[in-house]
Amino acid sequence: MAELPTREHFRDRIDLRVRIAIILMTLFMSVLAAKLWHLQLIQGDAYNEKSDSNRVRLARLTPTRGRILDVKGRVLAENTPSFVLSIVPGELEKPAELIQAYAPILGITPERMRNSIERSRSLPKYMHYPIKKNMSLEEVSLVRSRMSESRGVLLEVKPLRLYPGQDNLCHVMGITGEISQDELAKASRVGYQTGDYLGKTGIEKEYEGYLRGEEGWEQVEIDAKGRTLATMARKLPKNGADVILTVDSAFQRFVEEVFIHRAGSVVALDPDTGRVLAMVSKPGFDLNLFSPSISERQWKTLNSDALHPLENRATRGLYSPASTFKVITALAALSEKVITPDKKFVCKGQLELGGQVFRCWNPYGHGKVDLHRGLVESCDTYFYELGLKLGPDRISKYASLFGMGAPTGVGLPQELPGLVPTSAWKMRTYGDSWKDGETLTVAIGQGYLVCTPIQLAVMTAALSNGGKVLKPSIVSQIVAADGTTVFNHSPVVRWDIPVDPYHLSLLDSALVDVVADKRGTGKRCRIPGIRVHAKTGTSQVIRVKQRTKEEDQIPYHERTHAMFIAYVNDRPQKIALIIIVEHGGGGGASAAPLARKILARYYGVPDPGDPED
Amino acid sequence: MQQMGYKLNQPSLVVKELPLLCLAAILAGIGLMLIYSATSPMGDAGRTYVIKQVTWCSFGLVLMSIFLLFDYHVLERWAVWIYIIVVVALIAVWGVGKVTAGSRRWIELGLMRFQPSEFAKLAMVIVLAKYFQNRAGREGSQLGEIVQALMLTAVPFCLVLIQPDLGTAGVIVLISLSVIVFVVANKKILLWAGGVFLGLLPIVLLVGDRLLLDYQKRRLLTFLNPDYDPLGAGYHIIQSQIAIGSGGILGKGFLKGTQNQLMFLPVKHTDFIFSILAEEWGFIGCMVVLLLFTILFFRGFGIAGKSKDNFGAILAFGCTALLFWHVVVNVGMVMGLLPVVGVPLVFLSYGGSSLLVSFLAVAILVNVSMRRYSY
Repeated sequence: MAELPTREHFRDRIDLRVRIAIILMTLFMSVLAAKLWHLQLIQGDAYNEKSDSNRVRLARLTPTRGRILDVKGRVLAENTPSFVLSIVPGELEKPAELIQAYAPILGITPERMRNSIERSRSLPKYMHYPIKKNMSLEEVSLVRSRMSESRGVLLEVKPLRLYPGQDNLCHVMGITGEISQDELAKASRVGYQTGDYLGKTGIEKEYEGYLRGEEGWEQVEIDAKGRTLATMARKLPKNGADVILTVDSAFQRFVEEVFIHRAGSVVALDPDTGRVLAMVSKPGFDLNLFSPSISERQWKTLNSDALHPLENRATRGLYSPASTFKVITALAALSEKVITPDKKFVCKGQLELGGQVFRCWNPYGHGKVDLHRGLVESCDTYFYELGLKLGPDRISKYASLFGMGAPTGVGLPQELPGLVPTSAWKMRTYGDSWKDGETLTVAIGQGYLVCTPIQLAVMTAALSNGGKVLKPSIVSQIVAADGTTVFNHSPVVRWDIPVDPYHLSLLDSALVDVVADKRGTGKRCRIPGIRVHAKTGTSQVIRVKQRTKEEDQIPYHERTHAMFIAYVNDRPQKIALIIIVEHGGGGGASAAPLARKILARYYGVPDPGDPED
Repeated sequence: MQQMGYKLNQPSLVVKELPLLCLAAILAGIGLMLIYSATSPMGDAGRTYVIKQVTWCSFGLVLMSIFLLFDYHVLERWAVWIYIIVVVALIAVWGVGKVTAGSRRWIELGLMRFQPSEFAKLAMVIVLAKYFQNRAGREGSQLGEIVQALMLTAVPFCLVLIQPDLGTAGVIVLISLSVIVFVVANKKILLWAGGVFLGLLPIVLLVGDRLLLDYQKRRLLTFLNPDYDPLGAGYHIIQSQIAIGSGGILGKGFLKGTQNQLMFLPVKHTDFIFSILAEEWGFIGCMVVLLLFTILFFRGFGIAGKSKDNFGAILAFGCTALLFWHVVVNVGMVMGLLPVVGVPLVFLSYGGSSLLVSFLAVAILVNVSMRRYSY
C-alpha cells in the first residue's frame, strides 16, 4: 500500500507525541482537581457560611392593574392596597410549625393552610405563594410580631380591586379572580402563575391584555433571616392601561334605579355612533363581593338564584322580540313588494289556518287594518297575513339584515348570537319541513326567533339612522399608563341595509303614532315636545290557553315579558332605547312608562307622568 | 482503498470497546440527573428540559450505533462535504438563525434546534484528518501546509466568533492547534511558533481590546477581577464558586443544594452544570466525574496511538482533544480559573447539539479502534 511507509514514519513520532499529550492532559486534569481541592476542602467552610447567609430571591413586581372609568372620568374600578401573606416554598423549613403558628391568627383552618403549602410546591422555589389575602390590620400586626421566628413567610402589600359603584354597571365591568388551572394551561396566559388574578367576566376579562400591564421582577440578595441585603437586578413593571367606557355612570345609575322590576334588561345606544349609553341587566350584584374572592356561602346564594344575577342579560339573555319585530316584518313586506302601504286586511280577532286558530291580542278584532294602523295598534292578524305572503325565509332575511342571529361584537365576553330560523334551519335541526303556522308566529316575533337585548338595540338604532347596522361599543378609549391613547373608538358601520327611504319614512310616522295616537299601544311613553318613536311588544312565555285570567292572577313565571323599543332622532342628542321587563306583563303597560322616565331624564325634562286614558 | 463494507469486520472488537461506550452512557446519565436537579427549582416547567434531554440522549445513542456499522473511512470520503455543509450552516445562521441572549447560534429544523457551531468542531477534526493523512511524514508537515490548515480553521472560527460565541470559537482553535502541534508539525516549526507567539502576545491583547464585543470584554475583565461587575458576569463566578465551595467533601445531597434551589442562575443547567455537581455531590462526586473523563481521554489518546492509519490516528486524536478542551475550559471557567466564555461541559450540560457531538466523538473513537486490525 502506497501510504504504508509514511504511516510507519508517522507512527514513530505519534507514539512519542501521544505520550506527551497524555502527560499534559493528566497535568491539566490535576490542575482542575487541585483547584477543586482548594475550593471545596480548604475554603469549603468559608463558602458554606456564605451559601447559608447569602441567598438570592426573585420577587415579581406586579404592575398596577389599569382602572375602568366612565365617559366623564368617574372611577368605576380602581385598586387599593391590601396585605397579603405569602410563603416562599424554597425557604420553608418547618411547615407543621408554621401552620400551628399562623393558622389561628389568620383565621384559616390548618387543613386549608396545609393544602396551600402543598400546592406551592409545584411553583419555582424562589417564588411567592399567597396564603392569605386582604388581611385585616389586626392580622397584619399579629403576623408581624411572629415574622422573625419563622422562615419562608413573607408579608407583602398587593393591590386589591375596588369598585366604588358596587352594583353599578356590574355585568359590564365584570369581576377578577384567581387564575384557574384551565386558564393557566392556555397559551394566551403565558406569564401568569398560580395565585395570579385576572379578569373573569365583562370588561375585566375582555380587556385583560390592556388592564394587566407588564410584570417586572427584582432579584434581591437576602440574609438568613430574610432581610434584603441588596437589589441585584431589576426590571420595573409597566402598569396597566385605563379603560374608559362610553357610559355615563350617573345616567346608568338612574336607569338602574328606574328599573324597579325583578328581572330584565335595558340597553341604550347612540344610534349614530353605536356607543352604549346605558346597559342594565337585572338583577345584579355587588362587584366588591368578588374582591379578592367571594365566600363560599355568598357564591352559593348568587349562583343558585333562580333569576341568575351573575348573567349579563344584555348580551346573553335570549328573548322573543315579540311585536317589536313587526317593524321588520312590515319593512320586509314593503321591500319585497308583497303589499302596498294602503293594502288592508280585515282583523276579526283571530285567523284560522289549517284548522288552527291564531289569535290577535284584541279578541274583538281591529276591523279593516292598513300598514299604519297595523303598527300603531299592533294588530296581530295584519302581520299574520304579511307573514303568509312573505314566507319564512324572506322574513328571516330581514331579521338577519338587522343584525339578528349573530353576535353584535359589542366587546363583552361570550355574547350569544340568538336565532333567526329559516326553513333550511328547521330541516337541519328537526328534520322536518317548515309549517305555515310557524311563519305566523315568526311574523309577530314569536316562535323560534330569539334575540339578545343588545341585538334589539342595534335593530332600533338601524331604524333610527336610516338603515345602518352599527357595531355597538362600550369602550370609548384606552389610555396607557404613560398617558398615550392606545385605542380611540370611532363608529363602525357593519353594513347598510338596502332599503327604500320612502318605506322607512312610512315606518317612521307609524312609530311616532304608536306613542302619539290615542289608540297607540305606546302612549304611556308620551313626552310633550319630544318626538318619540316606539314599538311595544308582549312576549309570550307559555302558550296561551285561555285569556280569561287577569294579569295579577297568573303565576310570575307564566306572565308575559314586556318589551319596548324607542328612539329619538330629530335632536342633536339621539338615543335608541330598548327595555325588556321579564314577566312584566304588557309592553305598553309596564315597559313604556320606564322608557318615558329614562328619555325624560336623558333630555333633561320633567317626567310628565302617565297620560289620562 | 480499503474495504468500506457495511458489515462489522471484527464484531468482537465492539465488545472490547464496550467500556468506552458505557463511559459515555454513564456520563450522559449523570448529566440527566444534574439537569433534573438544576431545573427542579423551576417547578413543572423544569421537567420539559429533562424530557428534552432524554430525547436527545436516545437520539444520540441511536446515531452512535448506526455510525458504528460503517467503516470510519466513510468520513474521509465525505470530509470535504461535511466541512462545506457546516460552513454553509454557519452562514445560514445569519439568515434563519434564532437569537438567544444577544447571539445568533441556532437553526430550527422541524422539531429540533441545531447549533451548527457545535458541529463545526467535529467537522474541523474530520477535515484536518483528511488534509494531513498523507502529509504527515517523518519530518512532519512543512510551514506551507500548516498555514493552509490554519486557513481551513479560520473560516469556521471567524463565522462562530461573529455570532458572537467566543467560547466555541476558542475551542475550535484549541482543537486545530492540538492536532497541528501534536500530530503533524515538525520540531523546528514548533520552536519557531513558540517564539512568534510570545512576541505577538502583547499585540493580540491590544487588538483584542478593539475587536471584542462589550459583553465579551466584560466577561474577560470580570475574569481578572470578579468584583468588577457584581450584577453582570462576575456574579456568575462568585455564585458558582460559593456553590462549589459550599459542597465540601460529600456535598449537600441530591436536590439539596441551596445555591441551586434558591439561586436565580439562568444558565446553570447548561454552562454551569458543574457547579450543581460540586454543590450537591461534593469533592467526591466531582473527582469521580473528572476521573471518568480522564479515563475517557486516556483511552482516546491510546486509540490514536494504535490506529492502523494516519487518518484514523488524527481523527481519534482530534476527537479526544475536542472532548478534553471542553472539559478543561468549562470546569476551569466554572471554578474561576478561566474567563466565563460559555462553553458547555460535554455529556453533562443541557443541550442537544453538544450532546450529539459528544456521542459522535466517542463513536468515532470506538470506530477507529474496532477497525484497527482490518486492512
